[in-house]
Amino acid sequence: MKKTVSIILLLVLLLSLTGCSSQQETKTAGPVTITIWHDKEEPVIAVLEEAVKELEPDVHVVFEKKSGMTESLKLVGNDKNAAPDLYIFAHDKIGVYAEMGILTPITEFVDSSLLDRYVPLTVKGATYKGTVYQLPLYFETLLFMYNKKYMAESDIPGTTEDLYSYMERKTRYGHYGFVEQHSTPYYAAGWIHGFGGSLITEDGQPLLNSEEVTAALAYHKKFVDLMPGETEYATVNTLFTEGMAHATIAGPWFVPTVRNAGIDVEIAPMPIVNETGLPLAPYSGIQGVHILKVHAEEKKAAISKVLEILMNPDVSVALAKVSGCAPAMESCYEREDVQADSLIMAMRSTAETAVPMPNIPEMDVMWSVAGTLLTDVNVSGYDVLEAAESAQQKALDLIEAMK
Amino acid sequence: MKAKSNTGARKTLIAYLVASPSLLLIGLIVVFPILYTAYISLTNMNTYHWFNYSIIGLDNYKRALFMFDSGFLSALLNTVVWTVVNMVLQLVIAFLISNLLNVKRLPLRNFYKTILMFPWAMPGYVSILLWKTGMFNSQFGLLTQWMEKLSGLTVRWLQNDVSAFLCCTAVNLWLALPFMIMIMDGGLKSIDRSYYESATLDGAGPIRQAVSITLPCLRPIIGPSVVITVFTTFKQFDIIYLMTQQVGAQTGAHIHTIITYAYENAFITNNYGFSSAISILIFALLIVFAQISNRREKEETV
Repeated sequence: MKKTVSIILLLVLLLSLTGCSSQQETKTAGPVTITIWHDKEEPVIAVLEEAVKELEPDVHVVFEKKSGMTESLKLVGNDKNAAPDLYIFAHDKIGVYAEMGILTPITEFVDSSLLDRYVPLTVKGATYKGTVYQLPLYFETLLFMYNKKYMAESDIPGTTEDLYSYMERKTRYGHYGFVEQHSTPYYAAGWIHGFGGSLITEDGQPLLNSEEVTAALAYHKKFVDLMPGETEYATVNTLFTEGMAHATIAGPWFVPTVRNAGIDVEIAPMPIVNETGLPLAPYSGIQGVHILKVHAEEKKAAISKVLEILMNPDVSVALAKVSGCAPAMESCYEREDVQADSLIMAMRSTAETAVPMPNIPEMDVMWSVAGTLLTDVNVSGYDVLEAAESAQQKALDLIEAMK
Repeated sequence: MKAKSNTGARKTLIAYLVASPSLLLIGLIVVFPILYTAYISLTNMNTYHWFNYSIIGLDNYKRALFMFDSGFLSALLNTVVWTVVNMVLQLVIAFLISNLLNVKRLPLRNFYKTILMFPWAMPGYVSILLWKTGMFNSQFGLLTQWMEKLSGLTVRWLQNDVSAFLCCTAVNLWLALPFMIMIMDGGLKSIDRSYYESATLDGAGPIRQAVSITLPCLRPIIGPSVVITVFTTFKQFDIIYLMTQQVGAQTGAHIHTIITYAYENAFITNNYGFSSAISILIFALLIVFAQISNRREKEETV
């Protein structure tokens, strides 16, 4: 009896192991199935599903939500059995995947002249080493938001010095004139760009000890001194939604939360840095479709049809509305319903000065190094020049270690 | 005689055959990843050579040894201090609590046990972030608000190294104590009551009984759990990283264990060859520690 049980157990285990070994390739004749990985919320996908319905029955599009998509693509990006045909994600990983060799240029499917219809910022973000790897759908930029209950229209700061004097007047009794995630590179980059600087060049040279970056850090510090010590996402957002902060810089995704909290929120243009005459220019994230190389050739016609639908301005506007972001196609801004949306129009106008997040692979290490530099200066009170020198060296070492 | 040895060999063969599925499974889950990591460590697999990587010998190890600079040594020292402090506190506190749980006629014993198991049931990631924002946050944290009410001072718990180390230790204890308490509680229950009765008759007090009966009887039972916990504490990453170093939520403290140091200096580079070499070196370091602790244990039992 015991022997029989052990033999059965042995067989079950061996069978389960062989079951794990290979994924059966399902080849269907007739309609082509296009699989799209994404990390988006339900309403965005509902719009896309509705839009691609007209391709049925010839082209069947399947949307698969993936958590940890960036890592999954690294693992199976060139595996015919496991990789998707397309994926929807922000543009900032384009460099990594292009260097890995898993992406196909979008211009092999879409006439490059059609890209002129897009907001220039979005095409810039989608381009890596002169090749466009993403068809932009919508984009977001950080925005200057204020609570109308506390900040009167006459108080809206035109310049950073106006903002500072407002903060000096209003930061007291548990209230803050202005709060932001001052030691997070994504947010602090706006100040650095406002000084004409940048965290890294387009060819991957870190600029943390450059004159512009150190000047921005030194100037920014006096604002930080009037903010709470801890300024990660949760603290800053709670201060604003609780009505304890009068103004903040945040993404459009924050607006619904603020409105639900009963805050009368309004958007204003980014303040201009007095010293340089440039506005705070935040990073921008561009969401779009990318084509993986593995199935690009065999499914070229079907992929082209999907992309054609995604280039329809109606789809672009619908996506922008449900995502709370701004459409990537320029023609959308001529529509009345878009012009009536102050949030979208504010992002469009910020897009004139905003900077697409760098999409080069080197940026992966810069987030961490720049974050440490900002914390060292803003929270630990280290000397700006010394901290910048040491961060620059660390960035160089890590970039070298990438190769 | 020959027949006997034949039967013995057959029995051994059958034993291996029956155990082979489990061995195969263990091999796939435990041994294969280690061997694969060792293989990757000999290649130049990185963003620029993702699928077309080639074997480059020991180059990654040479680079990894350069990373073992003063920063790494201080991280190693931190790791040892972190492990010792946490283990001592865990053992002492778990011993006291499990003894209290075994007090005769203790009312609501099972209720206390359930409450004490609670931290274990919660996902570590959630617990750590709850501690960070709920207790230590400089605006809304409960501890900060108590301190403000009591002394009028706003304390930034996670800003300097010593205070951040103590906060991380508190969180680690909160997460790790349930396991140790459960093991010790089980151990205490398995000790024969008659030892204590005899000791009481001989006039031994509670402390004497604890030192001469409870501790020696508990040692072999909790031994393996202590070894497991030592390694879990040694390679702790989540608590220190999430409490002080998460990008966008860094607090200003610079406490590094060898794993957070390796993460900050290698793993974020997407250079899998280099990172694998570091992982193998840390693995070797852990094996050395394991050997030392095993030898000590053996010497002590002899």
